[in-house]
Amino acid sequence: MNSFKLKLIYPKWQKLRGQTTFNLPPHGPVAFAATLPEWVDVSFTDENVEPIDFNEECDGVALSMMLSTQVKRGWEIAEEYHKRGKLVMAGGISTMLHAEDTVNHVDCVFLGESEGRMEEVMQDWVNGKLRKFYNYMGNMPPIESVGPCRRDLYKRELYNHKGVQMVDLFHASRGCRFSCYPCAVSYLGGRKFRPRPIDKVVEDMAAIENNRLFIVDNSLAQNKEWEKELFTAIAPLKKKWISHTIEDDPEVLDLAAKAGAWYVYQAVYDTSDYIKERVKRYHDYGIGVEGTILLGLDNQTEDDIKRLIDFLGEIDLDLAEFTVMTPFPHTKGYDDLLRQGRIFDFDWNHYNAGQVVFQPKHMSPERLQELYDYAWKSFYASESQEQKMFRLFCNVALREMEEGTYRPRDRRLANKSFGRDVDRNVRNVNV
Amino acid sequence: MKVSPDYYDEIFSFNGEWDMPSACGLKIRQSEGKTYVIVTELYQDNPGTSVTYAGQKLADQICEAKGLKLSDIVYIECNPNTNSKLSFYDEEFFQVSFDADLQHRYRQLDRSEIMKITAE
Repeated sequence: MNSFKLKLIYPKWQKLRGQTTFNLPPHGPVAFAATLPEWVDVSFTDENVEPIDFNEECDGVALSMMLSTQVKRGWEIAEEYHKRGKLVMAGGISTMLHAEDTVNHVDCVFLGESEGRMEEVMQDWVNGKLRKFYNYMGNMPPIESVGPCRRDLYKRELYNHKGVQMVDLFHASRGCRFSCYPCAVSYLGGRKFRPRPIDKVVEDMAAIENNRLFIVDNSLAQNKEWEKELFTAIAPLKKKWISHTIEDDPEVLDLAAKAGAWYVYQAVYDTSDYIKERVKRYHDYGIGVEGTILLGLDNQTEDDIKRLIDFLGEIDLDLAEFTVMTPFPHTKGYDDLLRQGRIFDFDWNHYNAGQVVFQPKHMSPERLQELYDYAWKSFYASESQEQKMFRLFCNVALREMEEGTYRPRDRRLANKSFGRDVDRNVRNVNV
Repeated sequence: MKVSPDYYDEIFSFNGEWDMPSACGLKIRQSEGKTYVIVTELYQDNPGTSVTYAGQKLADQICEAKGLKLSDIVYIECNPNTNSKLSFYDEEFFQVSFDADLQHRYRQLDRSEIMKITAE
């Protein structure tokens, strides 16, 4: 019988300055861990909330990376382990996006989804035959094989802010039939929408020791019948959840609200009545809205951006998140800007969607950076991001109290924020 | 975002990044003694790597399949018009020069240039 002690690491990244930082328990590492053979003993460190003990005993190291801003740190971590004679494997979304570079820093790159594949990989590893590449790009495992994540690996107290447990991330589907300009999901997860079987979703969701979730699927609005079936099935669990876009349909919105929809991320890309009405319709069903606003697209002049920021004040958004156009590899945005010679910065640490790395069409990079900063300041001028979040939190707490599912905050952690002592003199919490 | 078949004579299947099965539209034209190879991005009907990201890897595969020499062709990438409301999906053509250091150079072609090539 084999045995193998695997150190699984989620590298840290530089958080965006000036923004309230909340560390959510990452989904990728625990989804990956669930696909490992039983004989692999996993120890997990999320470097965003605790330091790595490079001397912890292990037989090998796996890096799980989601963001472009994690990859360079991942390479540094690999180097540290190489000094200690350990082999390092890398996988995850940003490993796939930056595989050509990452392969120069690690011993093995795993490309694709890991369900049903890790027995072979780990057998190779223990037999000293770990390959440089395991390439399953475009070769998706059956969606039925996606099982519950290894949430037992989380150190829960590190994902807690002043006694309030952070939401758990959850996924009900993979793939995306849309192919949006700045997005690489269709490259990574395929252009085919792959919903998980509803009974598995319900079973998985019910087992999570958390009443608040973030359903991280790219967009739930991909198949109306599936959406209706999903919402109907999860309603009895009385979970409260955040998600990306929900179908703009009264029946679906009603079912979503009854199923516990707390708030959604909704792209606000213009100042049309359609957007205004879209936000209103969510609110009509008691669903909050966090607007996601992408700045720096080629169809935006300075005036357009200013008008868009002003417009946000008119549509009663609960929260807003601003990003600047960032040409992530394997997106149409990358292709277009590359062809036009407009990408001037290929330092992946700067690909955080808050730093301009390309030449905008209608303004200088510096001006776009100023407008991005102005957007954040302007939207949160009268009420801070943390205050607005608290308002949304109160909404969900009241609903939970009505339904008898409210769990009071953990008083033992009231003076802790993501594992660190709270400095009561600091208004915003930055970790 | 279905791409009109007017943009291509055939669908060309190729091995994309990490050997992902990929597809593009392909049109080959002779004009004024030159061979023009026009590859069109198919968006939703391309399951793998984009034509731009595939770059020379795609050009090499077309040359091999069609008995052409890379140095003898004029290679053009086409972003087809998808009738999207978004301007990012407007029609564009780029002539691509493949340099030895893989720093490809792109020159945008105007409508009249491309009409001249495809009309003959």
